[in-house]
Amino acid sequence: MSLQKRRWQAPHRQRLDRLATAIITLGAFAVMAAILAIGVFLVGESLPLLGLNAKPLLNSLTPLAWGTLKAAIAAMVFALPIALGAAVYTAMYMPARQRSRIKPLLEMIEAIPGVVIGFIAGLILAPWVEQHLATTLVLLVWLPVSALLAGLLWHCLRQRWRRYLPFSNAALWLIPWLMLMIALTFWAAPLAEQGLLGKSLPRFLEVHSGIDYATRNAIIVGVAMGFAVIPSVYTLADDALSDIPPGLLEGAQALGADRWQAFWKVALPAAGPGIFAAVMIGAGRAVGETMIVLMASGNTPLLSASPFESMRSMAAAIATEMPEAAPGTGSYHLLIFAALLLFAFTFLVNTLAETVRLRLRTRLRRMEGAG
Amino acid sequence: MTRAWPWLCAASVALSLLMLGLLLTVLLTRGFGHFWPSALELATLDSGDMVGGEVVREAALPHREGQERLYFTANRDIDGARWRWVTIDSITSRQTPPGLLRLQRSPWGDFIGYLSAYEDGKQRLEGEAAWQALATALAAPANARPQATLILETVDGQVIHQTLADVHRAQRPNAMHLGEKLRDWAHGVWQFLSEGPRAANTGGGVWPAIFGTVLMVMVMSVVVMPFGVLAAIYLNEIAHQGRLTRLVRIGVRNLAGVPSIVYGVFGLGVFVYGIGSSMDQWFFEDTLPSPTFGTGGLLWASLTLALLTLPVVIVATEEGLTRIPDSQREGAVALGATRLETLTRIVLPMAMPAMLTALILAVARAAGEVAPLMLVGVAKLAPQMPLDGDFPYLHLERKFMHLGYHVFDTAFHGDDVQAAIPLVYATALLLVTIVLVLNLTAIFLRHYLRRQRGQPC
Repeated sequence: MSLQKRRWQAPHRQRLDRLATAIITLGAFAVMAAILAIGVFLVGESLPLLGLNAKPLLNSLTPLAWGTLKAAIAAMVFALPIALGAAVYTAMYMPARQRSRIKPLLEMIEAIPGVVIGFIAGLILAPWVEQHLATTLVLLVWLPVSALLAGLLWHCLRQRWRRYLPFSNAALWLIPWLMLMIALTFWAAPLAEQGLLGKSLPRFLEVHSGIDYATRNAIIVGVAMGFAVIPSVYTLADDALSDIPPGLLEGAQALGADRWQAFWKVALPAAGPGIFAAVMIGAGRAVGETMIVLMASGNTPLLSASPFESMRSMAAAIATEMPEAAPGTGSYHLLIFAALLLFAFTFLVNTLAETVRLRLRTRLRRMEGAG
Repeated sequence: MTRAWPWLCAASVALSLLMLGLLLTVLLTRGFGHFWPSALELATLDSGDMVGGEVVREAALPHREGQERLYFTANRDIDGARWRWVTIDSITSRQTPPGLLRLQRSPWGDFIGYLSAYEDGKQRLEGEAAWQALATALAAPANARPQATLILETVDGQVIHQTLADVHRAQRPNAMHLGEKLRDWAHGVWQFLSEGPRAANTGGGVWPAIFGTVLMVMVMSVVVMPFGVLAAIYLNEIAHQGRLTRLVRIGVRNLAGVPSIVYGVFGLGVFVYGIGSSMDQWFFEDTLPSPTFGTGGLLWASLTLALLTLPVVIVATEEGLTRIPDSQREGAVALGATRLETLTRIVLPMAMPAMLTALILAVARAAGEVAPLMLVGVAKLAPQMPLDGDFPYLHLERKFMHLGYHVFDTAFHGDDVQAAIPLVYATALLLVTIVLVLNLTAIFLRHYLRRQRGQPC
């Protein structure tokens, strides 16, 4: 009986199998079609711009493109040093156990929604910075200097004390130090401002150099969006650095290099492409981020390079103008063209980064195998 | 120099952690602090004026020496303003009289002043008895409250009559002890979570926004999970691992980096204007020109976000699939299982946690995303819930409220942003909590499973 049953079952099972394979393939192709559809739609809906008198329309895109670039540059200027520095420290100096805890913590920043960061930046940070501009600028310079100061003091410490504050833990015990330094700045900077300028810095700039100060400006956007970009750059850079076979670094150190020299002469050249990929991914993120720029920039389309003036990015323009633009009009097609630019830029940048990253990974694997 | 750079690197880790900590601390303290019944102050000025209200903050005077203090004085129906800046030098005395009362009312916002009498037709109560009567009346559910009038007196002596029906809550924060304040705080948090917004979103709660967010995310999950998992299975189990598959994989990965607003544009152009308008012409011709599906709504928002989270699901599921050793599949095939049987009995059960992780990550991403929703169907104040007792119960064409958009809209488009900020803090805290909890769950799930299977973390 069982033989009979099996004879009946075998084609049934295979038919079922073939059906399932077909369904899976169909599902996968639907997904790919949807992905392709995005590109096709954006290109197709931008084409009518060719027929229209597109010159004035495209001219209105220039300040938006500039705003996007300015916001992205500001964010990268703030984020890159912090993210790359953090990656170097966690990959090179931090004990593995501590790193496995700190890394998810830093990656948590990526999960914080853009609206929340935008809200804090636009409504809380921006008015505060306007009132304490001098303090903010001093902070931006003083914090790195104070880190160096901490290092100097540490080197002067007795050996006995250094053991309680090992450098491998510096990321944690520097937090209270930085807080102390921030408190110091809060106390000293207003005094210096009053003593040197006699009035608040924005007023001073306005009177003496004719620089307008907008409450929501490139500095605010840079800090807010930079904060949001830090984790994406950090994760990839840290991955690239820790993928380096330990034998390479150990070899360098055996030849007498200290850790920084090992990083600078060995790890950096080896992981360079990975770090480049991290920067690219960060740039893609900064160019496309919408809510933070919308909320933290003044949202006025200006062609100005001043970090104290506001701007409007393409993504923010799409978010605010698209619901009002009737389909088929020039501005509708223009906004879609802006979206196409964003799409093409991020897609290209990400593809570049991804191929570089994958190639690097196989190269490092091979190195590891050889060593 | 080689000694200096490492310190800068260490400081960047410290600084990032500090910024994250600062952001979360600000959100936590300001978000929860909003519900704390803060003291009401009565300040006498040297001009003889009395100012009664809550101290909000102090700031330097714009053009001369000294500080000024911002009071939330409420009583917009009486003097047309809710805020008052007072120069600190002009204040002669500050008191916190225990009888000072704060009422939450419907049309005019809060009232701050004294309760002089409570009238309910039969009797007129004064003093402490009036407060007792008011407290008992407000403890009853809204439809069982007596018809009564409150006679209120502002700090500078103006008398107004207030019907009890418009009053939501009454507090005398100066007379409360810690236990009462805690209870009041918990009550405030509960009201925030369970009630609808009032007074142009500057008061009340966010229940419709929570509901809208959850419903949208659920519809999205129903769409994205099957397609994402199918695509991941195809890429990992069925497709020939050649150049083309690698290209597709890179393409999918890159979609995760495409700005979310681009998906919003696609959703608006294809779903709303394309499919939605055609659906209106075919099925809802009688209601045209007012659109049914031809405008943003729950369905289109969910589909747009499904497209947005597709790469997240595919990447996370595939990661789980690649972690299953090939020997498992080979064993199943050697025992005569077909591909479907290998999948359903061996591979999928083992990849279940990875799929769960994928779902959680997708939900976390979707819950925090706002930009695309602004194009495809979010509303600042939705008149009807998308889920109700009328057939067909789930109204996919309706607009809905969303926590993230609520934050944006209340913070930037309200008529009194100052009054809305505490509420925005609370909403932002809620949103961040939801997203972070989801992400942490995904991290722990992943960590736990890898350890359970003895793989390196």
